[in-house]
Amino acid sequence: MTTKTGKMGATSPRAPRKSAGTVKWARRLEVGREVLRNPLTVIGLSIIFLFLLMAIFAPLLAEPNQPDPYQSPRDWSNIDSPPGIAGHVLGTDSTGGDVLYGIIWGSRLSLQLSVTVVLFTLVFGTIVGSIAAMKGGRIDNLLMRIVDVFLSIPELIFALAIAAVLGPAFSNIILALAAVFWVKYARIIRGEIIKVKQAEYVAAAKVVGDSSWNIYRKDVLPNAATPLIVQATLDMGNVVLIGATLSFIGLAQAGLTEWGALVSAGQSGLLAGEWWVSTFAGLAIVLWALAFNLVGDGLRDVLDPKTEGR
Amino acid sequence: MQVRDYLLRRLALLPVIMLGVSVIVFTLTRFTGSPVGIYATPNMTPEEIAALEARYLLDQPIPLQYAAWIGGLFRGDLGWSGVSVAPVTEVIGLKFAATLELAIAAGLIAVLAGVALGTVAGVRRNKAPDHGARMFSILGASTPTFWFGLLLLVPFYLWLDWFPLGRSTPEIFSSIAHPTGMYTLDALIALSPGAFLDAIRHLILPAVVLAFGAMAIIVRMMRSSMVEAMSEEYVDAARAKGLPNKVVIRRHARRNALLPTTTVIGLSFGFLLQGAVAVELIFRWPGLGQWVTSAVLSGDQATIMAYVLITALIFMTVNLAVDVAYAYLDRRVVLGE
Repeated sequence: MTTKTGKMGATSPRAPRKSAGTVKWARRLEVGREVLRNPLTVIGLSIIFLFLLMAIFAPLLAEPNQPDPYQSPRDWSNIDSPPGIAGHVLGTDSTGGDVLYGIIWGSRLSLQLSVTVVLFTLVFGTIVGSIAAMKGGRIDNLLMRIVDVFLSIPELIFALAIAAVLGPAFSNIILALAAVFWVKYARIIRGEIIKVKQAEYVAAAKVVGDSSWNIYRKDVLPNAATPLIVQATLDMGNVVLIGATLSFIGLAQAGLTEWGALVSAGQSGLLAGEWWVSTFAGLAIVLWALAFNLVGDGLRDVLDPKTEGR
Repeated sequence: MQVRDYLLRRLALLPVIMLGVSVIVFTLTRFTGSPVGIYATPNMTPEEIAALEARYLLDQPIPLQYAAWIGGLFRGDLGWSGVSVAPVTEVIGLKFAATLELAIAAGLIAVLAGVALGTVAGVRRNKAPDHGARMFSILGASTPTFWFGLLLLVPFYLWLDWFPLGRSTPEIFSSIAHPTGMYTLDALIALSPGAFLDAIRHLILPAVVLAFGAMAIIVRMMRSSMVEAMSEEYVDAARAKGLPNKVVIRRHARRNALLPTTTVIGLSFGFLLQGAVAVELIFRWPGLGQWVTSAVLSGDQATIMAYVLITALIFMTVNLAVDVAYAYLDRRVVLGE
């Protein structure tokens, strides 16, 4: 019996999971196996794993600078050194800051930025979108017009304006991105819930007399959440890309070990032939975004095959 | 819903959304308190500063200030741009023309190259060109525009000196009139091949950099709609008629695959507006993006507000135009769903 329901779950990913928890876990395991069958996803996951290790073991990889580890230690006797010089594997910038140190401690900031922003916007957007879809009518109309207003300004530009008003600091970049990114989730979950609400199992739950909160929690949300998972994965990369752009422009503290700020610090040297600072720091951003894009695409192919490759 | 009704409803909603944008932008800039700093000079007495605040209604309640700002907007007064040392309305047209020229050039590159690459990838599915195109589009989505710009600057500006920074060579700039503010167009109007070449030489590199991210979206969409189109019955029918492969792909499959691709053009235009901020900064392109970055770094609120408003207006107009174009191209579309 369990194997039969397990198979059914596998062929229709949106099937309600009212039955035993074992089926749920069997299905999850199967999705996991399917995701890992794509070599590009595995590459993405490996890069993410390496970045996680880098962030966790940053103090072991590069001795933290006192008092603030997110400011590179300055080696004034080795300014603008090319890669390979003793003690500076990836070279130094124009103020003697070690590039490798910046990349290692920058991974912590990228992790902090992406996890904070994605978690907050995912939860907040889901709440707003769910209220709109479950309540409908005037509330839906009002909430969706607010969403329209937010969507009418491109993300980076909106975040730029907010961060500019709050003043140059990395924490303000986090705030600005959190204020902008929730809209997408609200819109996605609203559309999904409206679709799911028409399903027979929701009607059945209503007939049985379940409370609307229970219907939402047990039947609607679990079946509407798949596209959110994909979007959240992609946004783990997007958030770092936009955050890096803001700090490149100059909206983070001076000398911060943030990758975008590092690229900016290397900009003047770049035209003098000192290519290493900007190149390596930018490469870290690309790898981070690439990894989450690969995993996000892989997840989408498995969870949401209708939009494969889009 | 009828296309005309839908268009009218969207047009009616546009001012409502713009009003929302204006409220958000205004509230946001008042978070940090009075913007009087940009108008005051260090040797002013407190009385003089108070007089200045009274003159710009900065001592009034916030809703009144907002009303005054909106009133000014309708009279064509967007305030004083501290970074340009001129009224906002006086400079915004020039900045807009510069960014528009860059965005149109980048958009053209992105659409032409993106459609071509996506077509090849879709036709030769799961072969080398397809893998290449997928890798290209995922790299385009993962590469920060500012970094890509810096990377291209080194070989093409520093080593080869093929493309100069800025928008034009000063002597050439002053040799012709600039009625549109778009230098390539101005050169064509003045019938000056020299000025045209100069404008193009300045335009190419920033436009290519800007096009990269938008192109990634278009390649992706074109590829998947091409894959879909190639499996349709009308393609089989065209083949059965004995038409050559090239004709089947160009006239039958590609023409139909272009339809869904138009829907992402609006989206990719948002990428162009966003990317222009970093690209203009790096290539010293005096457009809206460069204008707003200097405003951001010096706390020039009037400029930031005007910039966000005009960007939202452009973005919404382009998206509306794309929707309408799509509806006219594909009569099966039911809008407003």
